[in-house]
Amino acid sequence: MINLKDVRDAARDMLAKGEVRAVIGYRRGSRGMFAEPAFLDRPEEADELVWDPTCFHNLSLYLVHDRKHLAHAGKKSGAPVAIVAKGCDARSIVVLLQEHYFGRDDVYIIGVSCEGTGVVDERKLARHLNGAQASNAAFDGDDFVFTTAQGEKRLPAREVMADRCLECRNPFPKEHNLVYGEDKTGRQLEAPFAALDRFEAQGAGERWENWARHFDRCIRCFACRSVCPMCYCDECVVDSITFPISTETTADEKANRIRWIERSAARSENITYLMTRAMHLAGRCTDCGECDRACPVNVPIRLLNTKMEKEARDQFGFEPGASIGGPSLVASFLDKDPGEFIR
Amino acid sequence: MSEQQPYEPKIVAFLCKWCSSAGSDLAGVSRIQYPANATPITVPCTGAVSPMYILSAFNKGADGVLVSGCHIGDCHYLEGNYLARRKMYLIMKLLDFIGVEHDRFRMSWVSAAEGAKFAQVVTDFVNDLQPLGPQDKLKRAESK
Amino acid sequence: MEKILDKKRLDDWAAALTNYEVQAPSQEDGIWGFQPVNGPVRLDHTNTKQPPKEFAFPQREVFFTFEQIKGEAPRLTQVLPQAPRHAVFGVRPCDGRGVPRMDKVFNDHVEDTYYNTRRKNVAYVGLACNKPPSANCFCLSVGGSPVSTDGLDVLMTDLGDRYFVAAVTDAGKALMAEAAKVFSEPSATDQKQVKQAHAAAVAHPQRAVNNPDQAPAKLKASFKSPLWDELARACIGCGICTFLCPTCHCFDINDEVHGKAPLKGQRVRTWDNCQFPDFTMHSSGHNPREGTGARLRQRVGHKFQYFYENFGMHQCVGCGRCITECPVGIDIINVVNKVAENAA
Repeated sequence: MINLKDVRDAARDMLAKGEVRAVIGYRRGSRGMFAEPAFLDRPEEADELVWDPTCFHNLSLYLVHDRKHLAHAGKKSGAPVAIVAKGCDARSIVVLLQEHYFGRDDVYIIGVSCEGTGVVDERKLARHLNGAQASNAAFDGDDFVFTTAQGEKRLPAREVMADRCLECRNPFPKEHNLVYGEDKTGRQLEAPFAALDRFEAQGAGERWENWARHFDRCIRCFACRSVCPMCYCDECVVDSITFPISTETTADEKANRIRWIERSAARSENITYLMTRAMHLAGRCTDCGECDRACPVNVPIRLLNTKMEKEARDQFGFEPGASIGGPSLVASFLDKDPGEFIR
Repeated sequence: MSEQQPYEPKIVAFLCKWCSSAGSDLAGVSRIQYPANATPITVPCTGAVSPMYILSAFNKGADGVLVSGCHIGDCHYLEGNYLARRKMYLIMKLLDFIGVEHDRFRMSWVSAAEGAKFAQVVTDFVNDLQPLGPQDKLKRAESK
Repeated sequence: MEKILDKKRLDDWAAALTNYEVQAPSQEDGIWGFQPVNGPVRLDHTNTKQPPKEFAFPQREVFFTFEQIKGEAPRLTQVLPQAPRHAVFGVRPCDGRGVPRMDKVFNDHVEDTYYNTRRKNVAYVGLACNKPPSANCFCLSVGGSPVSTDGLDVLMTDLGDRYFVAAVTDAGKALMAEAAKVFSEPSATDQKQVKQAHAAAVAHPQRAVNNPDQAPAKLKASFKSPLWDELARACIGCGICTFLCPTCHCFDINDEVHGKAPLKGQRVRTWDNCQFPDFTMHSSGHNPREGTGARLRQRVGHKFQYFYENFGMHQCVGCGRCITECPVGIDIINVVNKVAENAA
């Protein structure tokens, strides 16, 4: 069990001593019980920090934002930024380190173990609360406890946990400077890739029927890309700003610029976008599930990413976010890689 | 195209300039008969073929996509085809996962000396694509 | 025109509307959305994920097609929307209030043929919110109400086993006249009950923007406030808040090329989004709204200041979608209140 006071004390101390520039963590938002990202610059703000089952955000995204701001302002980083990270979040930080997005000394990881549970899935929870509004959420062993106007509501965590948490192989942040909570590695409640396996059990025709419906629903709000710490490219193939323009650029050139994907939220364009993204995340996605959570129209984006993760594991023995010095999936190879499919 | 003619699948073929592209030339100068369905795009190495090219080819109306390069061990850049083998495996699995027919994507190793093999690869591909009919899953609709 | 409709006869009404494509909320993959009616009409939704703005302002609209044979002049063919007449059921009063706001935007300086062609073919059948469908509803504080008829053609109120159905416009009367037989005359009890239901709906506690009338002036005075950057610190720059908004209307126009020889394609309008980095990107590379703070200010300013200055009303209708759906908890009520509190 994590004692929130310990986390707050550590954050306060680090900020007071100037050991870190800022602490990125969670605080209570203005929207009911839900936590929101918090950015603490001063020690007296440390008491705002919370740790509860609604801390679902992968905050490592904000380490990326921070680097971009520094680069834009032409500033050096100075002291590190501290960040509260769950097991999956810490793995994303490892991938960012692996890709030299920043150095190990630039980040101070305050690990929090998800212990026996994980975090809530807002949609599953809404179904269980059936219209009731909760004002607080808390961990309690294998349960989540919610405070509602009708009183306390206790739910077994596994019923309202995010799919990724059910399958989580590593709820403990291995890479950390400080860590709170017990290491419950191996506590997974469902087999790895259980949701993927259920989907893949269908025939190709059914899979296409399902995906066609999902791809049709995509409104191209790009929340999946925006919320993803791995989608840090300054220029994305789907944006219209990817074409460098100078005073020499002619109107003809502007009109004929390569557009890989049209802006129309049409099925063909949505597929090209989402599949390109899945490929770009192959070997980098640590299954934090943020894309799935952020999607306002329930496109099961996570399935595309876990498909790549499973292939990488089964065929190439590759585990994303496992070690900082490890190779990248698509920039490395083994002699024994599968090649039977090639004529 | 009138309805009486047999369906001719459109193939976009990404061919490595050091081997398969030369292999296709050899097939030509050797007067080997094979279907003319493949539009070749010469690339410096299969390792330079982004999965995005494949998606884009389907998006722009290809019925099948072929990526062909040098045999393992023969890469002009030593390891480009090893890298391609991984990437192409992944995109193949992803296409399969969303329900695109398995036969619409193909990869082959064809050296500059294998004109006959190139002709065979294209012939087989066309034969496998014909029963599938036009590819409309990833194709950009003209109006919708 | 005020009538009573037995709940069992709702489907008969929908079935009688043979001159319309009837749309109603239905759930697909866990998402409430408007879908063509195909089976029983169920009005047991909270609110739809997307507002009904797509019926007049779809995410993609073709303006014209073009074709040019080399050496010849380009040939343009205008494509006017061929939308069927729509009767849209289950529209919440907040979304209804979005309609006249969109009407103003698309008819102020220029009358937008594409919008108007679609718009005149849509009838909105509202459903009063006996209780707030979402924890983030705040219609009352932006001049609306859970029983508002603004923008609607018909307002239905759930009275348990029956609906109280009131026509608001002539188009609404016409909808009801298509199936006169399914309705009955309201009794004095019905009239009393609907009044009670409406009073109770309005009395339900909601979240609120404080002093909304002062918001335009307060926001105007806060253009340079450091709070914008502070409040937008968690913003990820996605487009959920605006794409799901019943009154966001910004668009982009692009040529989609379908063939090069001969050159042919379509000029299309697609939704655009002030939260995207490329929305204000100049071709020089300069971006006047560089950070998320400036973009949040634009969105909130548009809803609570600029639109008010232009049209005398808030553009925000208080549906709460942008709050509920924001993946990182950015909350427009909180933003307006905080900025106004700290205004000079």
